[in-house]
Amino acid sequence: MSRFTWQSVLFLAPAVITLLLFAYWPLLQDVWLSFHSWNMVSPTMKFVGLQNYLQLLSSGELIKILLNTILYILVLVCVNFILPYLLSFIIAHRLNRFSFFYRSALFIPSTVSLAVASILFLWILNPLAGPLNIILSAIGLESPRWFKESGLVIIIIGLIIGWKVFGYNLILLVAAMVDVPKELIEAARLENVSNWQLFRRIIVPMTSSTALYVFVITVVFGLQYVLVPVNMLTQGGPDQGSTNLVYIVYQYGFVFFQTGKASAFAIVTMLLYALFLIVKTKVLDKKVHYEN
Amino acid sequence: MKKITQLVVLLCIGAFTILALGCGNSQNTSSKTPSKVMIEYWHVNAESFGGPSVKQLVEQFNKENPDIEVVEKYNPDMYKGLTQNLQAAMASGKNPDVVQMGYSYLNYAGENLKYASIPDIITKLSPEDNSYLQDNFLPNVLALATTDDGKQIGIPYSVSVPVLYYNPDVFKQAGLDPNQPPRTWQEVTQYAKTIKEKTGIMGFFMQEYADNWAQQALIESNGGQILAKKDGRTMAGFDTPEASEAYQVLADMVKNGNGLHATNEEAFQAFLSGKLGMVCTTIGKRDNFEKSAKFTVMAAQFPSFEGKTRRLPAGGNLLMIFSQDPDKQKAAWRFVKFLESPGALALWSKGTGYLPPRKGVTEDPQGLKDFAEQNKNMQVAMSQMPEVVKWASFPGANGLQAEQALIDVRDIILSGKQSAADALKQAAAKINSML
Repeated sequence: MSRFTWQSVLFLAPAVITLLLFAYWPLLQDVWLSFHSWNMVSPTMKFVGLQNYLQLLSSGELIKILLNTILYILVLVCVNFILPYLLSFIIAHRLNRFSFFYRSALFIPSTVSLAVASILFLWILNPLAGPLNIILSAIGLESPRWFKESGLVIIIIGLIIGWKVFGYNLILLVAAMVDVPKELIEAARLENVSNWQLFRRIIVPMTSSTALYVFVITVVFGLQYVLVPVNMLTQGGPDQGSTNLVYIVYQYGFVFFQTGKASAFAIVTMLLYALFLIVKTKVLDKKVHYEN
Repeated sequence: MKKITQLVVLLCIGAFTILALGCGNSQNTSSKTPSKVMIEYWHVNAESFGGPSVKQLVEQFNKENPDIEVVEKYNPDMYKGLTQNLQAAMASGKNPDVVQMGYSYLNYAGENLKYASIPDIITKLSPEDNSYLQDNFLPNVLALATTDDGKQIGIPYSVSVPVLYYNPDVFKQAGLDPNQPPRTWQEVTQYAKTIKEKTGIMGFFMQEYADNWAQQALIESNGGQILAKKDGRTMAGFDTPEASEAYQVLADMVKNGNGLHATNEEAFQAFLSGKLGMVCTTIGKRDNFEKSAKFTVMAAQFPSFEGKTRRLPAGGNLLMIFSQDPDKQKAAWRFVKFLESPGALALWSKGTGYLPPRKGVTEDPQGLKDFAEQNKNMQVAMSQMPEVVKWASFPGANGLQAEQALIDVRDIILSGKQSAADALKQAAAKINSML
């Protein structure tokens, strides 16, 4: 018995040590930083207690950031979860030909880096010289200032992230869709079940475990991907219209050099993520069908 | 196997010989020139940003001055990275000797870093240079390296100023004379309107980087201020009629559809592809614009307000000395003087796009005479040197956040959500609560 424990500890050690060293230790340091005022250059750090948190909660900024974050999540869920879910159903069960072509064509964009996608969209959407503007002006419309209108800018950045994430999520979902037993579907067909009923009663329950996973990564990773396009294209503008919980941490830390407030924001962000995952475990997991 | 052993032995012998020779060499040199002074030069110039010019300058100096050996050291992450490294180095007693410091770090450096004062070094160690600073630099340029409490902590080295670039082809299409660019903001407004009406091309754009550099030029050229001193405290100074009037000029152009409100990249790209008439941005973009545009890019002086003097904030860096030992201080001063010599400055300007801070470099045949004669745009930028002022930096731990508040206000004003006067007033209140 003791030998067994000893061995298992040894096997776990590399993973556990790495995790402690690179995930939990920085987390503790972050908590420590959030009680200090420091500019990353000065040799002295000042202890300020809860002041960073109080300032963060009392500023009007937080509400704007939270609303933006929710808007981002809505856009990301639409573009990177609902849309690929419907498409994967079509590709797996409604297409008789060219399914391989569609799968590859839709996956290829996710191999392009986000920075490249950002620049690509910047060119396409250029309000004076971009191809979209040429099309719009041909039909007598004026191009909006995509990156300078609040609200619109979040949708555009959501689309840029979609460029990166969509294909990957689609492949995962297609795999799940293909896994649905053919007999079930054929049996349903024999009973003359409508497409909608097929989708609602068979496909959705049978793919729910993968769907939940894709939903979670859409939200958790999607929000982190926001950093690249925001930092490259808008720097949180216009008037903080494209900032969110993840970018604000970067901005306070590496633009304003206020590590205390950045860390406080990071802790708040982490708590909200934790809340999201608790809701997911308590509520959503129960509605999901796991095969084993 | 045998062959490999032989090879290893051979290599070892070779290494020993080189080592022995090396020792012999260094003994030789140290006996010949016992006082070869080693100094370190810290800079922020990556390969794509003037790095090769730094190396070339150091090499040239070391060749011309056999008694001094300058070692250059690149510091990543611009002046923040450099300042961090500097503080770490000084804590362990190993300070560099000559350092590039960004203008935005001027007061921080003056208050927190143990630098060697250049005027003191001159009086003590190099009295023949007593009038060097006054003779070679304009007073307003010298002031770029003077802290708020009046200490000359270094010497200005790199300077950039805003200019007005325009597309002469668009001007001609609109029936405007490319040799008569707009001189005042009133004219800019008219030109932008004419361009839009005659050609359908967007008229004007002012840079919208994540700073207020060009907007400071606009506000201060109308007699406004970014910062004001009240009872010894630094406060927001831009909630004045002069400032809002100047900002409103931009907002009105955007509102009337003759001015562009977009990201920098979008606007520059539109300008380079001929879809935008005028762009107001830094002379640092000159080389890039001239090389990428399909037309001849022309530059005019930053427009002024009728009857008022222009005040243009300088971007760039100053040189500071950190040596403590008198021998090193003297060597560092000689190196600084070399970097500030017309020939070295000319090389620096061509390699980076910065303007030389010193008087007379443009007229000096050793300096930029040929280059400036060929490049009219460079001449235009250099003619603005007498109007250079300090780039306002918000003081204190919340300074950079305060700057962001002023950046946010730009979006509010240019999107037409609020008038410049209202928006600036609110921003001033917000910033004053931060400072």
